[in-house]
This record gives sequence, structure tokens and C-alpha cells, in this order.
Amino acid sequence: MSNGRTGFIAAEGVSKRFRRGQLHDSLRDLLPTLSRRLVGFGRNGDAPDALRANEFWALRDLSFEVRPGQALGIIGGNGAGKSTALKILTRILRPTTGSITVEGRIGSLIEISAGFHGDLTGRENVFLQGSIMGMPQELIRRKFDAIIEFSGISEFLDTPVKRYSSGMNARLGFSIAAHLDPEVLIVDEVLAVGDFRFQERAFGRIRELVTSGIPVVIVSHQLDRIASLCTDAIVLERGAVAFRGTPSDAIGWYLSGTREALDDENNRSAVRLRALTMIGETALASGDGVEFTLDGSVEDAELLKTEQIVLRVRSAATGQVVFATSMDRCGIETLPAGPFRLRVNLEMNVRTGVFTVEPYVVLRQTGKDVAAGPVAYVQVKEDPGSFGTVQLKPRMRLEPWLQGESESTR
Amino acid sequence: MFSTFFNLGHRAIVTVLPTASGRPAITSSSGGTFFGDLRQVVTDIWDFRELLAQLTRRDIKIRYKQAVMGFAWALFMPVLVVAAGLIIRWAISTVGGAPLNRAGAGELLVKGLCWSFFVGAIGFATPSLSGNTSLVTKVYFPREVLPLGTLGAQLFDSGIGAIAVLVATPFLGALLTPALGWVPLLLVLLIAFTAGTCLFLSCANLFFRDVKYIVQVLLTFGIFFTPVLYDPALLGPTGAKLVMLNPIAPILEGLRLTIFHSHSLLDTWAVTNRHGIEVVTWSPWYLAYSLAWAFGGLSIAAVLFHRAEFAFAEYV
Repeated sequence: MSNGRTGFIAAEGVSKRFRRGQLHDSLRDLLPTLSRRLVGFGRNGDAPDALRANEFWALRDLSFEVRPGQALGIIGGNGAGKSTALKILTRILRPTTGSITVEGRIGSLIEISAGFHGDLTGRENVFLQGSIMGMPQELIRRKFDAIIEFSGISEFLDTPVKRYSSGMNARLGFSIAAHLDPEVLIVDEVLAVGDFRFQERAFGRIRELVTSGIPVVIVSHQLDRIASLCTDAIVLERGAVAFRGTPSDAIGWYLSGTREALDDENNRSAVRLRALTMIGETALASGDGVEFTLDGSVEDAELLKTEQIVLRVRSAATGQVVFATSMDRCGIETLPAGPFRLRVNLEMNVRTGVFTVEPYVVLRQTGKDVAAGPVAYVQVKEDPGSFGTVQLKPRMRLEPWLQGESESTR
Repeated sequence: MFSTFFNLGHRAIVTVLPTASGRPAITSSSGGTFFGDLRQVVTDIWDFRELLAQLTRRDIKIRYKQAVMGFAWALFMPVLVVAAGLIIRWAISTVGGAPLNRAGAGELLVKGLCWSFFVGAIGFATPSLSGNTSLVTKVYFPREVLPLGTLGAQLFDSGIGAIAVLVATPFLGALLTPALGWVPLLLVLLIAFTAGTCLFLSCANLFFRDVKYIVQVLLTFGIFFTPVLYDPALLGPTGAKLVMLNPIAPILEGLRLTIFHSHSLLDTWAVTNRHGIEVVTWSPWYLAYSLAWAFGGLSIAAVLFHRAEFAFAEYV
């Protein structure tokens, strides 16, 4: 059935129903429910996809397939159902309806230090946590040195884990998980463990696993990591798949959806922003220029005296605004009544990642947002020639060596 | 080797394809029948036997780490039980004239060790699921290994005690006869019954947090309803029959009779008390009764546990 080392992950129409509030507190109201549950006759009267009072769908009709060489990113806000999906994939939860198929040994980078016991030493915990994750003892013994070296805590190997800092804990946990030799990989928000250097190393290890061609499912709020690791992505919203596509499309879709709230609460602004259209490819190299058109219309010429249009560029990875400009600063003082089109040019002197371009209408005096417009996003591709957070457009050339110059500088 | 799992109440199917290299991470489940589930439990535990061994080692290490008493701890409870028993026997001999002899002390030692094994195992196993919530909600493995791991650690403890008992009993009236052949079977019955109880109670305590308090109370007073400190014969014909209904009682009485009275468990055993009344404290039926409790109980508990297992992460 399984040929060679090819893994496979699939979900088909997976739904998960949860109940709000306390389930059971006392034996009294529990005994009848428990006995029904244990015997499994609990819901025979109901249709399997019916909702009772107090129940809700944490996941609704989720389907996907991940084959070798594919990496699926799942993004979505808090409570969108991402963790539930992962727990179902790792068999911690059972779906209410639908089915999952997982072929191959699962490596799950979820709660990587869950099995640690504080009273045991680092060494003892490696073996304990390893077997909790399903590693055979023999494999742990074989990989022990590599695990310890990767974690960088070799001096504290025989110290009880309760004396570890939380960073050390996470590093040791990740190191164990990273040496699982999985055939399929499931990664939760663990990309953010340890210090900066360890994060880079952990990310490198995940990338290694992903590029080794095993099927991967990743959940992360660090959207740029999704963009750079995944081949496909889905956006979950209230438990259902709201968008499915390439990672950068999914991230763009997700980010443009997250600002609807501001739009709703505002109904009085001078300008209505209708469309932000990017001209050309959304993926470009660091340092390249991009061109947009921003279409809108002036709704209230009086208000325009106190309001103006601002453009913010945000890093999808960190959520930080990396750049902002306004129509004032670009030399446009006012807008004609009726519809208008602004042409915007930016030089993306930034490093790899996904960036959103967000137009807003703000008050001139206070800078407070009064309306938000549609979002565009740009994916800046990897630039092997540089490293850092900004693009300084380096140029180097070799100059001829002039005799006598070195003496004069001395 | 392709199988699907069907749950009665849910429409969920978990499909598992074993891998070419190594064992599958998701073990396959078969059927929804009692025996299908039971077989599944056994397969699951076998697949995760290394984890079970690791958890047992963890529990042993934790018990002896930073412990004042060290290995003396293993003897602490049996010794207390024996001391309590000696006081009671002494009181009985003072009032009723039944003599306090060395064999009486030996019997107390054996039964005390078994009782402290049972009590200790249940005490540690009951909170074993609710005390490992981070594992139960975050990582997949057959949850049976958590209570069974504490049982393993208790076996280790009691094993140390058993060595002490083994050394002492020849001087305390144990008889080296073929009847001793029954002892291993009785110990297996004790362990099986304890394992079933551990599985059931750990599972129940996950759903109802007051179970562990109820268990504490029951275990505290349980010794009065179990013939540990006294012999069933002491209660008279009806009392003996009633106390032997306690699933532990036939095991303890069986051990006492085989070790100290070279009695075969296939024969009836009766004593005539002070009032000239004959009290039957053993009949072969008790063996069948014990077998039923031990293996029937263990199977039912394992299947209940298995069926409830998938709800654990939601209820914790």
C-alpha cells in the first residue's frame, strides 16, 4: 500500500463540534451522559451533523490533500479552527464527521516539551519525550548526540529540567522533535522558540524537512514563514475554509479581510477608497519598484480639508508598519470632487517577505484613522546577495591600487 | 493491512496506512465490537511498549528522587499494615482466645503487601490522566500507558517488598509444598484486577474530578471490608460468605491458604470455630469468581477506557 518513503496527509469533509461552557462538573448530571457516551449510543437519535443548544462547529467541512513535495500552510485568526485541525490530524481529537488519512510516521512539532517532567534531568527527558513522540529507543540512542548538540545545552544535561529557563526547555524540546525522522510533518506555532539564533536554526531545520519532500502541514502566525515554506495555503475563518490558493494569495486575502472592522464602524469620511490595483507581478525582487493605482471618490469636499489619504506598508511577518506616506507628503494637497485615480510608485527596499500596502483616510490633525481601503500585497522574493532587514542596494567594485596611497593614509 | 475505524455514535473514520519503514504512527483500529476494541487496546499498548517502559521508569525515578526514605519507602506501608494487624490480632487473642502465632504474622505480611500494592497502585493511577493534562491534550499515544505506567512503578515498589517478604516468610510459618504453585496465578489475578481498577478509575477521574476523593475514602475504609487484618472465618458462616464477595478477598484468602496451609485451591476449606460452627472460607467457586473479576473486569475496563479515550482531550 505504501511504496517507499512516501507519506500522505488528507482530510475529507472533516467537521468538529464542540460545546460551549462547562461540560460536566459533578457526578450527578454526568452519570447518565457518561454512560451513554462510553457505550457510544449518545447521539443515535440525532442526525450526526445536527447542532444542539450550546454547541458550535469548531471546524466545518475541511478537506485537503497533501502529497510528497507539498507543504500546506493553514492561516487564520484566533479561534478560526487551526489548532483543532492539527489536533485532529495528530489524532488527539476525533472528528465529529468526515475522515482523515495519514500515511507514514508523523513528526509533529506541536507542544514540543509537553512530556517533560521537571524532576528528571535533561538526559532522562530526552528519552521520555522521545518515546512520547513515538521514537523507538534505539533511534533516540542513535540520535542522542545530535539532539544535544542541536539544542546547545550540553552542560546542563544532568540538571533537572525544572531548573531550565523556558528558552532552554523549548530548545531541548524542539531538538528532540527535529530528529524524529518523520515521514509526514505537522508543525504548529513552534517556529518562535528560543532566542533569535536558535529560531534561525529551528527554521532552517524545518526548511530542511520541508524540502526533503515529505508532506507538511504548517500552522503559523508568522505569515512570511508560511510564504517561504509552503507550496499551498488555506485560510480558515470560523472553522470553514474561506480561501484556498498559493501562500502569497492566501496571505493577501487573509490580511485584506482583517481590516473590515474599521470599514464597518465608519460611515462618514471625506473620501471613499474603492480599489487598490497593482500593475504587474505581485512577486518581485528586493529593491524593485512597484506601481499601484488607487481608485476612489470624494464624497464630502468639506471634510476633505481635515482629512487626507495615507498609505502604509506592513510586514506580514511581524505585523509592523515598515513604511508610511501620505498624499500631503507626496505633494498632492487636495482632490477634485467626484471620482479620482492616484498612481503610486514605491521602491521595495525591504528584505524577503510578504508586505501589504494599505490605504487609509486619516484626520490631518490627529492622524486618527477614519476609513480603510482595500489592501494590496507584494511578495518580495529572496535575495541571495544580501542579508538584513532593509535593502541598501549594495554595489561593490574593485578599484585599481594606487602607489603611495597607503602611506598617505597612515 | 488497511483498516478503518468506525465509532458507533460518530460518523468519523480514521484511516491508517502502515508505512514501509518502521511501525505506523497512527495505529489502525478495527471494528466497534467488544473484542475488536479489546484487541485494539492490546495492539496499541504493544506498539507503545517502549513508552510504557519509559513512563514506568519516570514514575519510579520520581518516587525515589528527593525522597528521605529511599527504598525503605517500599516497605513503609506493608510494615504499617502488619503492625496494625498485629495489634488487632493481639486484641482478638486477648478477648477471644485465638492464639497469636508466628504463622499469623507471616499471613499478615503477605496480605499486607498485597493490600498495599492494590492501594498504592490505585492511589497513583487515579489522578494519572488528570495530572498529565498537557500530554493528554497535546500529544497522541494510547492513554492506557499513563495509568499502566503508574501500575508498573507500583509493581517495582511492591517487588522490593516482595523480596523482603520472601526472605521473612520461611521463618514465619510458610510451608514449602506443591500448593505454592497456586501463588503465581493468584498474583496474576491480583495484578489484573488492580490494572482493571486503575484503568477504570483514572478514566472516571478525568471526567469527574471528585472521583479521587471518593477513592481515597473508599481505600481508607476498604481495609475493614477486606480480610487483610483478620481471617474471614472470624466473621462466622454468613459473614465469611459476604466478605468473600469482595473481589480482593478470595485472592488474599487463597494466598493465605496455599502458602501457610498447603491447601489446594480446588478443594473446599472449612474451619470449626469456638462455638462449634463450621465456617467455609474457601470453595473452588471462589477461584472462578476471582478469575471472572480479574479478567472480566480488566477487559471491560480496557474497552470502556478505549472508547472514552477520544473524548479525553475535550473533557480535560
